[in-house]
Amino acid sequence: MILNFDLSKENQQLLALAPNERICYAVPYDITADGRFLSNSYAVVTDKRLVLLEEGTLRKQYLLSDCDKIDSEPQIDCGLLIVTVQGKEEIAARFSAKHLARFSYVARGCTLLLEGSTKLVSSEEYEKTCPNCHRALPGTRECPHCAKKSGGFVHEFLSMLAPYKKQLALIVFIMLLAAVITLLNPEIQKHLIDDVLTDKKGTLSQAFFFLGMIFALSLFMVIINISKAYLCSKLGSMISMDLRAKLYHKIQVLSLSFINDRRPGELMNRVVRDTTRVKQFMEDVFCNLFTVCVIFIFDVVYMLILDVKLALMAFLFIPISIFISNAFRHNIHRRFHRQWQKNDDVNSSLQDVISGMNVVKSYGKEETESKKFDELSDDFAAVQRRNETFWAIFYPLLSFTIGAGVYLITYFGGVSVLNGTKTTGELLQFINYTSMLYMYLDWLTNLPRRLMDLVNSLERINDVMNQEPRIVDDKDATDIDIRGAVEFKNATFGYKSYKPVLEKISLSVKPGEMIGLVGASGTGKSTMINLIMHLYELDDGELLIDGTDIKKIRLENYHSQIGVVLQETFLFSGTILNNIRFAKPDATYEEVIRAAKMANAHDFICRTPDGYNTYVGERGFNLSGGERQRIAIARAILNQPKLLILDEATASLDTESEYLIQKALERLTNGRTTFAIAHRLSTLKDADRLVVIDGHSIAEIGTHNELMEKQGIYYGLVTAQLEMQKVSNEETAAAQA
Amino acid sequence: MPPMGRPPRGPRPDGPEEEFNLEQMEKETEEMLKLRYLTKDNAVFERTEGGFVSVRIGEEFHPRVQVVRMFPFSDPDQYISIRTPDERSKEIGIIENMKQVSKETAEMLREQLALRYFTPIITKIINIKDEYGYAYFDVVTDRGACRFTINMGGHSVVHLSETRILISDIDENRFEIPDVTKLTTKELKKLDLFL
Repeated sequence: MILNFDLSKENQQLLALAPNERICYAVPYDITADGRFLSNSYAVVTDKRLVLLEEGTLRKQYLLSDCDKIDSEPQIDCGLLIVTVQGKEEIAARFSAKHLARFSYVARGCTLLLEGSTKLVSSEEYEKTCPNCHRALPGTRECPHCAKKSGGFVHEFLSMLAPYKKQLALIVFIMLLAAVITLLNPEIQKHLIDDVLTDKKGTLSQAFFFLGMIFALSLFMVIINISKAYLCSKLGSMISMDLRAKLYHKIQVLSLSFINDRRPGELMNRVVRDTTRVKQFMEDVFCNLFTVCVIFIFDVVYMLILDVKLALMAFLFIPISIFISNAFRHNIHRRFHRQWQKNDDVNSSLQDVISGMNVVKSYGKEETESKKFDELSDDFAAVQRRNETFWAIFYPLLSFTIGAGVYLITYFGGVSVLNGTKTTGELLQFINYTSMLYMYLDWLTNLPRRLMDLVNSLERINDVMNQEPRIVDDKDATDIDIRGAVEFKNATFGYKSYKPVLEKISLSVKPGEMIGLVGASGTGKSTMINLIMHLYELDDGELLIDGTDIKKIRLENYHSQIGVVLQETFLFSGTILNNIRFAKPDATYEEVIRAAKMANAHDFICRTPDGYNTYVGERGFNLSGGERQRIAIARAILNQPKLLILDEATASLDTESEYLIQKALERLTNGRTTFAIAHRLSTLKDADRLVVIDGHSIAEIGTHNELMEKQGIYYGLVTAQLEMQKVSNEETAAAQA
Repeated sequence: MPPMGRPPRGPRPDGPEEEFNLEQMEKETEEMLKLRYLTKDNAVFERTEGGFVSVRIGEEFHPRVQVVRMFPFSDPDQYISIRTPDERSKEIGIIENMKQVSKETAEMLREQLALRYFTPIITKIINIKDEYGYAYFDVVTDRGACRFTINMGGHSVVHLSETRILISDIDENRFEIPDVTKLTTKELKKLDLFL
């Protein structure tokens, strides 16, 4: 996202930078305080001032040294830039939702400037519209329209085809063959009519000879079409398989931040839908591309050779035909888009009611819902009927109008035949070529749209392919044997750089220490753990493992030495054995059994019908939450990790499994540096130190007793939980009485 | 992640005198149930220097309030919630109807609403061009001329009623057409695809 727009000369003059002043951010704002649209208005932040340039005037400026705070506040479909001067909040600028995110980044940048930092905020988010051509971007960084100019698309398309040169050559050859045969057919028909049939010139055997040739050619054409379709489908499938595998691999390598920045499903769409589009293009369009182009060109040339006058007459109808068919297609598209929308309404209403059936029934609303559905259904039926009628009436009319050129040719050609300047066969041949011309014209006018679809899909695919993973091994990254010392030094991090989740955290953990992380939800406990797992990179500050910067440790080496048990236990589709072995695929049976025993999982595994070979995961054997959790613990133990991370590992379990898991965890944490997050504070009683996170930073730190004595946040949390427990105990007691 | 058991009370406890108190918690929960109507008799609203509004209700003073519509589409002028401007956005009170406050106050609050809400009303459609899955609108609104882009695949156009529609663009701005039947035939034809 652009945070530093280029300013026009006039605006630069208005700004009147001092000699040692530099522009940090310049972003447009687009509405006035009373809500009128503005153009050419910018909020400019230099290292000394905040200046508001509004439609060619300098509306207001603030010296940064006078400001206490500069903040961006989202409103409904708009936002406000609010400056606090001497304790008074003031509206500096107003902007529509278009610039909401932009101003959030700038406000964060201002906060840094006010703090005296020289660090500039930048944004990895993509623009939604191309700053160059103002078209919407299909979720990519580069604009497919503007990138095309640099020859990028053709190059990309060819490089995609490069590994399949042989198949490609074969396909092109077959396509040319198909073109030749298609063009040859009218020629033979001419001979049949002129040399054999007219005036009974030829013999029966000659007639059979030509008929046989036409038949052979048709047969040949069928074979060619089949092999062409087969080869193109095969090529398309191979290419899309190739792209899918490459995309999948790339997505695995990319940092979580890239995946989290996108809407769920968007990446899946790229892997599934965009690669399928490429395949479809290869099958439907590419497979005919050369054939149609060659036929079209030679068709035109032949027609001109055969009869210039008639040919020009036929061409005269081309623009008319294109215009009519375009208008028709536009209309049809609108109609069927509407039909599709109505259909969608019916479907979603049906889905709504069926999935909410018990609510509908228990409130006795069957009649009302039924009526509502009837209305939608009637609507859909009406639109459908109208569209079908339209199609039935107008399609023949359309074909007639588009083909009008052929009637004209037939008339004037027929006159020439009667005059004797042209033979019947020649006329027939010419008519055949003319129909061919119109037939492929439609296909060709549709080509740009199909090509644009392909360009967009390729652009979306390449957008992922060209991403550089943000967390990569440093050049001098090394393998180390972790002892377990972890140190945060002034660490700052946010998933969006304008919104820090953790700010200037400093914490030093000794090897073997168990740290309990405490705080309200959304304060950054899980974020801290994500940083320790090196799933994200710090924005600022350092994270040291045994005194080594985490960036200098080889990722794979580091990850092989940490163990993780999360609240949502994720088991892959596969056997229990494979799930336990996930981190260490070459573990022996004995190692697996030992790990399972340590995790108190061995006994229940033996009770399942297929033991360690029991299939779990989606649609697999049904394990309880506690059982899944214990498999996850076994998975973590097997690795013999030096660093252990437990994120709500015992939440929402029944008492018995909690006890078993507690025991398993005790064994697991023994002698290992552990970071644990727990909802029930009692589960953290074994922690050597508790770290209370509040307001983006560490608020309290110490043992349970120390923090209780301090009577701060932790004390409040513990008393609150005790009180709540008392209430629920009393309620249970009352209920039982 | 389940929420930690922080006591649902304003500021966090930072001293022994602010011990967790079940009684107070229950009292607050009860209070949340009440509808506290603000009228010209019990509340004094005043403009702040920075362009916001403060309120004094007896002893209670809020230097800045947030003015929120409860029914922005069906009844924008009734049931206005007055809330604290912080993240917790606690309700201070409700104005049932603008008639129940003084003219000056109503004007003040309308200004605040105008600042908070921004949904231009489309008065004229100059052109709509659709290209490769997006539709490019060129319109005139009550806030001035404007161009915006919508995604044709998604649910960008929402019907608030038979004739009233709300259009969301790719930047999540929203535009309203209060009555499509008031558009000219030419404009309707352009919009036809989205109705």
